[in-house]
Amino acid sequence: MTMDLAASQTAFADALLHADRPVPDGITTARGEADAARFAVYRNNVFVGLTKALAQRFPVTERLVGTQFFVAMARAYAQDHKPASPLIIEYGGDFPDFIASFQPASKLAYLPDVARIEAAWMRAYHAADATPLDLAVLAAVAPERLADLRLVAHPSTGLIRSGYPVGSIWSAHQLETVTPITDWRPQDVLVVRPEMTVNIHILPSQDAVFAACLFDGATLGAAAEAALTEAPAFDFGAALMGLVSLGAFRALQPDEGNVP
Amino acid sequence: MTASKTQAYALPARAGLGLKPEHYETVLANRPDVGFFEVHAENYMGAGGPPHRYLEAITELYPLSLHGVGLSIGAAHELDKAHLKRLRGLIDRYRPQSFSEHLAWSTHDTGFLNDLLPLPYTPETLARVIDHVDETQQALGRRLLLENPSTYVLFADSTIDEVDFLATIAERTGCGLLLDVNNVMVSAVNHRLDAATYIDRFPVELVGEIHLAGYDETVDDAGDRLLIDAHGTAVKSDVVALYQHTLARSGPLPTLIEWDNDVPDFATLQAEAARADAMLAAEALRRNGQRIRAA
Amino acid sequence: MNRSTLTLTLAGSLATALASVAFAAPLPAEKMVGNEKCYGIALKGQNDCAAGAGTTCAGTSTMDYQGNSWKAVPAGTCTSMNVDGHKGMLEPMKG
Repeated sequence: MTMDLAASQTAFADALLHADRPVPDGITTARGEADAARFAVYRNNVFVGLTKALAQRFPVTERLVGTQFFVAMARAYAQDHKPASPLIIEYGGDFPDFIASFQPASKLAYLPDVARIEAAWMRAYHAADATPLDLAVLAAVAPERLADLRLVAHPSTGLIRSGYPVGSIWSAHQLETVTPITDWRPQDVLVVRPEMTVNIHILPSQDAVFAACLFDGATLGAAAEAALTEAPAFDFGAALMGLVSLGAFRALQPDEGNVP
Repeated sequence: MTASKTQAYALPARAGLGLKPEHYETVLANRPDVGFFEVHAENYMGAGGPPHRYLEAITELYPLSLHGVGLSIGAAHELDKAHLKRLRGLIDRYRPQSFSEHLAWSTHDTGFLNDLLPLPYTPETLARVIDHVDETQQALGRRLLLENPSTYVLFADSTIDEVDFLATIAERTGCGLLLDVNNVMVSAVNHRLDAATYIDRFPVELVGEIHLAGYDETVDDAGDRLLIDAHGTAVKSDVVALYQHTLARSGPLPTLIEWDNDVPDFATLQAEAARADAMLAAEALRRNGQRIRAA
Repeated sequence: MNRSTLTLTLAGSLATALASVAFAAPLPAEKMVGNEKCYGIALKGQNDCAAGAGTTCAGTSTMDYQGNSWKAVPAGTCTSMNVDGHKGMLEPMKG
């Protein structure tokens, strides 16, 4: 019996993704009989390849939970999340969201945000290159136009606002020996690659609302008001200059002029 | 130093290496004598960043082989037009001396399956692959080298021998072939075929590049030898011997050492390349000797 | 805050910040970018070698955990991260 190619590949893919399915009809060996161990090579390649890709993108997450737990968690993700395209460099963008809903890890409340830093690191690494906004351009803006100005985020920019010290946790795991975090308080982490190196910064806590509003496209005026409402100590000039100096923006919004 | 990319539109008949991020700095600092570098196209499909910066610098110094891993030429469904466009973008940007892909499928309705999956060799799949190779060469504006796969199972439906299948695709589409000697060994052992016979029947005049790699070995449920195309070790001795047998037929050809898992330090890769280079040089000498004796 | 007050406040604040840089150190603009000492806390990061597995054309003989029945006990470094006085815990996962 001959199956048409599309049906044959559907059956193959189905058996590939479900370990409990038998070897599909028509798959055989030189002995003339199906062999589960041989078909399992393909199944194994798919899942080991995907879990390995996740382990390489989320090394701190893996260290936090241990390899055995990580592989099981990554496999649970891979079961329902196949790469949307052959670009494995993009695989796992929503793995942090999956971790957040993954019951066995629910007691590690900080885990999804640590994973978000790692996801943002890889996005920044492969993001489009762009020269960051120059402070001189900002300094040249007429004072009366500042409040209505919007900035364009740098293509590599990512902001992780966390209720946990995820920047410190991430940083501690860059070293071979991990020391416990002594100062346990919320942190907001900026990920940005102004040149060829991905930089990770903990933002001053009173500036995170401002940064988040600007990355969402708010005007400087609206972002400043939102920040002041939450943190009276907010210093607009220091925050804006600080974010610009880290390379978090690419340009002023074109419709606001002053863009070459 | 090796030919620059503005020179020959073909890889040199030398040993080349897969370019790995952990070796970018070593390659640029030491400029090792390597015939060419090969990269997996999909790893350079990000918008920017260090991968492109390094690849630009390295292709100024070495010929480049662009090796696709995700086009899914053997898929029943249509080729991914967006992916073809991304490949075209890379080809226009880097002008590689060679572009190759696999006789396999890897995408389905459920997404990218992240493995090179096998095809039944039937008139239907032959027609499908021919269409896809035609479309690819059209879209990319250049000739493609199609690689023979490593396979772990057979299809009861297959009616065409793999070598004939590949030769027919090449004949109908004008594409070239990439002969992966390790894949030949893996499939031959897995399906109780003779690897040397496969090489003897292969249309070596159409081969634009050879691949060598290390396999892993296990057994199947009946206890039969089962080789896995793992790319995580040095080339095994039986594959080196099969490569020698291949060169005697084909003459010196660009030869890539593939080592993608547990990537060792650069010196270890270079030693693997040096062994292949020595075999290529010996084959060139042998052929010159024959010509001189004949004259 | 009314509009004109806001405008004045922002302009004044930015001018002060910019002036402090100009007086402190006349750095060229490109040196300002990513200058860690200026603002926030810069964390020392991983190098590019961790740039991801990427796509590969190789198979593997590493075995997937699927099919193994096991329970994950708290492991990794999470146990040393202090969460409001509690040690980090992972729950058993049934394979």
